[in-house]
Amino acid sequence: MSVASEARPALQPSALSLWPHPLGWLQQQIKGWWESRLPRSDTHALTQRNVYILPSRAGLMFAITLVTLLLASINYQLSLGYVLTFLLAGSGVVSMHLTHNTLRGLQLHLRPVLAVFAGDPAAVEVVLVAPPQDRQPRHGIGLQCDAAGQDQLSWVDVPAGGQTTAHLAFIAARRGWQWLPSIAVHTRFPLGLFRAWTIWRPATRCLVYPRPEHPAAPMPSAGAAAGNATLHRSAGQDETEGVRAYRRGDSQRLIVWRKAAKLMEAGGELLSRDTSSSAQQQLWLDWQATGALDTEARLSRMCAWVIRADQLGLAYGLQLPGLSLPPAHGEAHRRRCLEALALWR
Amino acid sequence: MALNTSWLSAERLRGRLSVGALPRETRDTLFLLAMIAWTLLPHLYHLPLWCSLMSAAVLLWRARLALVQAPLPSRWVLMLVLGLAALGTWWSFNSLLGKEPGVTLAVALMTLKTLELRARRDAFVVFFLGFFLVLTHFLYSQSLLVALAMLVSVWGLLTALVLAHMPVGQPALRQAAGLSARTALWGAPIMALLFVLFPRVGPLWGVPQDGTGSTGLSNTMRMGSVAEVAQDDSVAMRLRFTDPGGRPPAPSELYFRGPVLSRFDGQEWRVLGAQAPSGFPPSLRPALALQTRGPPLRYELTLEPLKLNVLPLLEATAVAPRIEGVELSQRDDLQWVAQRPVFERLRFTTEAHVQFRHGPDDPIVGLQDYIDLPPGYNPRTLAWAAALRREARYAQADATVLADALMAHIRTAGFSYTLAPGTYGVAQPRGAIDEFWLDRREGFCEHFAASFVVIMRALDVPARVVTGYQGMDRVPVDGYYLVRQNAAHAWAEYWQAGRGWVRADPTAAVAPDRINSSRALRPEPGLVAGALGNVNPALLAGLRNAWESVNNRWNQWVLNYTRGRQLDLLKSLGVEAPSWETLAMLLTVSLSSLALMGALWAWWDRRRLDPWQRQRLRLARQLHALGVAVQPHDSPRQLAARIRARWGAPGEPLASLMDTLEAQRYGRQALNRPDRRLTRAFLTEARLLLPR
Repeated sequence: MSVASEARPALQPSALSLWPHPLGWLQQQIKGWWESRLPRSDTHALTQRNVYILPSRAGLMFAITLVTLLLASINYQLSLGYVLTFLLAGSGVVSMHLTHNTLRGLQLHLRPVLAVFAGDPAAVEVVLVAPPQDRQPRHGIGLQCDAAGQDQLSWVDVPAGGQTTAHLAFIAARRGWQWLPSIAVHTRFPLGLFRAWTIWRPATRCLVYPRPEHPAAPMPSAGAAAGNATLHRSAGQDETEGVRAYRRGDSQRLIVWRKAAKLMEAGGELLSRDTSSSAQQQLWLDWQATGALDTEARLSRMCAWVIRADQLGLAYGLQLPGLSLPPAHGEAHRRRCLEALALWR
Repeated sequence: MALNTSWLSAERLRGRLSVGALPRETRDTLFLLAMIAWTLLPHLYHLPLWCSLMSAAVLLWRARLALVQAPLPSRWVLMLVLGLAALGTWWSFNSLLGKEPGVTLAVALMTLKTLELRARRDAFVVFFLGFFLVLTHFLYSQSLLVALAMLVSVWGLLTALVLAHMPVGQPALRQAAGLSARTALWGAPIMALLFVLFPRVGPLWGVPQDGTGSTGLSNTMRMGSVAEVAQDDSVAMRLRFTDPGGRPPAPSELYFRGPVLSRFDGQEWRVLGAQAPSGFPPSLRPALALQTRGPPLRYELTLEPLKLNVLPLLEATAVAPRIEGVELSQRDDLQWVAQRPVFERLRFTTEAHVQFRHGPDDPIVGLQDYIDLPPGYNPRTLAWAAALRREARYAQADATVLADALMAHIRTAGFSYTLAPGTYGVAQPRGAIDEFWLDRREGFCEHFAASFVVIMRALDVPARVVTGYQGMDRVPVDGYYLVRQNAAHAWAEYWQAGRGWVRADPTAAVAPDRINSSRALRPEPGLVAGALGNVNPALLAGLRNAWESVNNRWNQWVLNYTRGRQLDLLKSLGVEAPSWETLAMLLTVSLSSLALMGALWAWWDRRRLDPWQRQRLRLARQLHALGVAVQPHDSPRQLAARIRARWGAPGEPLASLMDTLEAQRYGRQALNRPDRRLTRAFLTEARLLLPR
């Protein structure tokens, strides 16, 4: 019956989550103002200044229980009732400090965030480092990206004097360089009577590629791209000119699975088709060929084309208004193209 | 969001169970159920049978659901069972309010709530109900054993609470138990502070009326009712004689005066008062007229809650003891009464005079109350008394002569003292005393006292029954003499012109041991105590003494920590006229200074540097004085190279210290905190290099 591990609907990890709901708009405004005051930083040291603590709802229930116990002890003149009440009260006060201590002193930093396509979850890895003088592990720390739809907490324990990594995700809605959303770190350990939290605005940005169109429109053919010296791949894709050793970045489609399987049985390695001929076949992915769509839809379509062309192992070039990447293939080229699409204008 | 459904698809349990092999949810739930069962266990004595059975069944059912990871029953089932429990409570107690029905309902609610552990809120409700149930045990007993059992309960509940907030992995129960113990131990000083200083006030509203009649004394007496007390070994009061070098009085002088029973209706003896009013106005009733002789005997009394308004004080206590929150007054029959029944343990110091006399000198009309006998009862005894009166030597005898004659008769006529005389007055409801006095002649104090009074009245001598305690344990424990419930006693008083009321204890005539050595005549011991007593009587007595000693300290220091003792404490701290306002102020001051200390610590903690950082700053300052430039990002090894470049061979010790530091900080066996010896060595070496 793990109370903390269940998913709770729509947790608002802000400083003001105890505010009543009808003030939601005001709450959002204040939250925005509050967060804009926080400086962005690469690492986040949790100190007395930026770890906040308030009684949780269970803490208020606990207070009511204590008052009831005290009244019963007074009215029935129970010395042991007083002992019980004060023992629980003392534990409650101590738990406040323990809850705060669970966060205070931690250092947070981020692992580099990989680029993602818009609409896909971006993986954020937060490293929590305990100070070396810690003697006790820190339990029950929940992290969460403060972005829409992220109500799942990622729970970690930090070993004494060690470090641990929490895996978070957020969904980037727009392309381009995106600031990482605020990261809320909070805990209710040990008794759940208090909730301590901190909000971190990371100074890291994440590159978001346009959302690939799905289903993708057919790629432009050489003929369609008139005026450019494009060569369409003349022969069928299955035609094999020869084989060579697998190189990193080769598409799965280039691998000669049947031969490779036999070779690998004998301890050999993967084989790819030698597409020397296809290297000369150049494909231009052109802004003009995307049709009369709005900008974002055009970029989405081109993004889907880049992915497709890369999967097919074609050499492709990118033609955007004011930007032209000559045809090439491979991982680096793909990334360059996607970056260009992500950052265009 | 059912807590259990996440495990529905998990593999069902097979083979042998061990705690480690259980899935986390199952293990935590079983642990919580075990803790709840432990908390409820001592209530089995007080609960109606149906409630105990239902609780056990529900807990077992819940445990089974946890083991097979089945879904919880629907809310409708729970509401139905709860409704049945409420009906059962009504059926058992005819009420839903009050102590017994309240506890029954709380137990039912607690067990049923375990079937509804769905969300975080439900779990907290279980925890907090659990704490409340712990408190309900103290309504029945606050003994050391109950306290220990409930300490385990609180610990277990806190452990379950901690466990619920460790969502990662499968933390060991032992670890969670350690964490909760740590929390509670650190909270103990706050507990002690609050316990000592929180002002004790009287009950805020209606005094609880439950549990009347569970102690040895009562305001009425029927034959047979004191026999139950005689079996009761528990402590009624603790007595300490506070005169320096004072010796306790002889046991035969130790009469603790409880209710004085003057009105007899043929079946029952009662106190003259509201229930059995006197026929005379107060001015005509015999006055107290207490006169004491000799030096006072000072004593301290710790009185267990008797739930009566009569305080059994030593005869004769002339001055009202001062007890915080209890107003005492002395009735004209020498008994001390409080305005309200006393439900708390009282401790106070007062003084008594063993030599005293009381009552009117002259026959006044109000004494008629003490000659009244119900018509038509015990005709043979009355005839026996009339026959006695007709004897020549008693025709003109005064009360003392008659009393002596009765005592002599009791001594010589084959009466015997027994704790199990059987019941009287079954064949002849109006002849219980006839049956005792003339036929069977065996009984204990109340039979002798009641018969004595009836015969004295039949002889036209005013007389009354006095109940209370007589005697005490001969060997003190920690300086405290124990008076047990089995010392409850009944004796008689008759009125003699010129002497007032005179005590007469007819039991002394038949069983002088009972009075003089103050040894209660024991019933057969229980099986275990009997066996132990046979093997080693000294061991049994020793164990019992040790237990009484621990228990006494528990009573004196924890249970008896009342407002009076709080104020005593303040006085010993030098407060002139302490009051509860002083207490409240002291409490506020202590709590705020604690909070202030916390704030200061937080301030200090914020300015506190990482120890490595502090060491670095100290070394950098010294290097700066030596003319070595230090940048924030320089590693010790780079600094070592710079020292070698600047100082050459004389700087070598410093440089090698820096290399050691590099190893200590980043090497394979890096230290957790800086080595102070290295810092000191570095500073010493650097001072050698400095130009003089």
